[in-house]
Amino acid sequence: MDRHAVWWRSVLIAVAALGGMAAARAGGQMTFGDDTNTSANDGPPFFGFVRDSDGAAVGDARVTATVKSGGALVTTSNSIGVYKIAGFAKSINPADIVISCAKDGYKQANVMRRPNSPGDTTDPIEVDCVLQKE
Amino acid sequence: MTRVRCAVAAIALLLACVEATSCSAAVLTGTVSSAAEGAMEGVLVSAQKLGSPIAVTVVSDAQGRFRFPDGGLPAGRYALRVRAAGYDLAGPKTIELGAAPADIALRLDKTADLAAQLTNTEWLMSMPGTAEQKRPLMECMSCHTLQRIVRSTYTAEQFVPVLERMAHYANNTIQARVQMRPAPVKINTAVVTKLAAYLATINLSKGPVWNYPLETLPRPSGRATRVVITEYDLPRQTIAPHDVRTDRAGNVWYSDFVENYLGELDPKTGAQREYAIPVLKPGFPTGALALEPDADGNLWLAMMFQAGLARFDMKTKTFQVFPVEGVADDDAMQQSMVMPRSDNVDGKVWTNDVARHAIMRLDLKTGQYQRIDPFQFLPQGHSHAPYGMAADQKNDLYFMDFGDENIGRVDARTGATTIFPTPTPNSRPRRTMLDDRGRLWFAEFAANKIAMFDTKSETFKEWAVPTPYTYPYDVFCDKHGELWSAGMASDRVLRFDPQSGHSVEYLLPRPANIRRVFVDNSTDPVTFWAGNNHGAAILRLEPLD
Repeated sequence: MDRHAVWWRSVLIAVAALGGMAAARAGGQMTFGDDTNTSANDGPPFFGFVRDSDGAAVGDARVTATVKSGGALVTTSNSIGVYKIAGFAKSINPADIVISCAKDGYKQANVMRRPNSPGDTTDPIEVDCVLQKE
Repeated sequence: MTRVRCAVAAIALLLACVEATSCSAAVLTGTVSSAAEGAMEGVLVSAQKLGSPIAVTVVSDAQGRFRFPDGGLPAGRYALRVRAAGYDLAGPKTIELGAAPADIALRLDKTADLAAQLTNTEWLMSMPGTAEQKRPLMECMSCHTLQRIVRSTYTAEQFVPVLERMAHYANNTIQARVQMRPAPVKINTAVVTKLAAYLATINLSKGPVWNYPLETLPRPSGRATRVVITEYDLPRQTIAPHDVRTDRAGNVWYSDFVENYLGELDPKTGAQREYAIPVLKPGFPTGALALEPDADGNLWLAMMFQAGLARFDMKTKTFQVFPVEGVADDDAMQQSMVMPRSDNVDGKVWTNDVARHAIMRLDLKTGQYQRIDPFQFLPQGHSHAPYGMAADQKNDLYFMDFGDENIGRVDARTGATTIFPTPTPNSRPRRTMLDDRGRLWFAEFAANKIAMFDTKSETFKEWAVPTPYTYPYDVFCDKHGELWSAGMASDRVLRFDPQSGHSVEYLLPRPANIRRVFVDNSTDPVTFWAGNNHGAAILRLEPLD
């Protein structure tokens, strides 16, 4: 399997994971008084790949999404280097979310944000990280 | 020299007699057997002196033998009871203990009412249904066991008004005392209808017996039988011990979830004392939840619907209360948590605003509260709930998002929040402790896991608990690195070694609804403490290894 095929396989896995995440949210806890799953009020999810400079997946990398107005969310890439973030408040401009990656023994070399279609405010936003061994 | 030694020994014996309230402590041993099994391992045998609030329990070994701690039972008449799923005690049910050792043979008969012996966990194992259908039942256990549901005869239609009525009860409600929520409650009709339909499939609405087999967990064996459990009955059934901890002198302190008292227990004598917490909002539900010491060792209480925090001075035995003022103190205002551990750093104490899913911080100089919304940048509409709290040496706050799946950190200087989603979705992390290595140990209530978040590396580890539907409420890491956990469902205390992965589950003598767990590291082996929130008792568990 060449690198291009691997990339597409990873995309499919990531999209499937995002779908599962949405389902988990929708089927989340039920209490008598709470309303859940108001996804119409959510901003777009983020996802991406963490790789090294050779293109190999980097698992267990710490991925931080920093909100310019204050606050941050920290998650971890999985064994194939995929991370996912459920999203932020709709009031937060996705452009004001800064993604960074870190792992012991590596330094961040590059962060690539793939543009969504113009006017698209709901599709997941892909931001990929490249880590370089120190 | 010999005479001096004898004098010292005599004084020690005298002191021991005073502690045991009688100088003629007996030795009680025996065997447990049944016609079906012969000698029985893992039967809990309890002895309670008539009129005494203290019951002592031991567990029979592989040969069916049991032995109470030498000197642990003062002379007198004792009631005996057992716990062994599927069996009742045929006899003897009482015994007169004197100075001479006693050895008794307990006979067990098959029970005629197995359903009455099932724990919440065993009901959840037994009843049909999907995980999603059973998931709401974890909320029910806060106020009552699942026995009330499965023994009911309501149809789905009849269940709807029952569920709607219960939604109006305050969370600090027990069967012995129901308290109403003072603020209006929004009912999700679709959720209630769906739940009602499911409950009508697992109760007795269609006939006199359940249409599914009743499953029970195996009795304790091996290491799980090497334990002594002491129950201290509290003076009223309306006392609901929630958080329990010991002080440096070995006395036990507990918050009362339903009545407005702080309780104190001398475990050596069983003597008890209550300290009335000032009532801030007459007519509102009473009772406190979190009980935590500050940097000086004084105890703080989160006052729930009384809206505020209370500090108890351990020297003067008096309260100073900090009512919620300066922010919206409406009928829904509720403080369930308090975290004063590092108040000496900046004069600030952390708490929560349950109704608004927010963090609050009390300034001890001004008595004013500051509100922080830790979820303001996350998707709106999701259920969040800051719950269990811990503070590090800088008084930065770590909190559990019990409504969702996050660990949060609030920087004490900037107020900035960082959210760390747990690896398991919808985990609903509940209570927590921070050890001196910067490791945050916590229970993932809805995920049936216990977990650790390393605040230095910002990484998680999770371990599934061995029994399904345990729903752990809390976890404590002891001085040996072993984890202790319990909850509202299984009537068991879990002891887990995260290094080896080995676990022991100690069955408790009676149905036990456990919230905060605490381990006294000053003893060897360590001593586990918790409150039986629905059973008006304090539990002490002493492992023998």
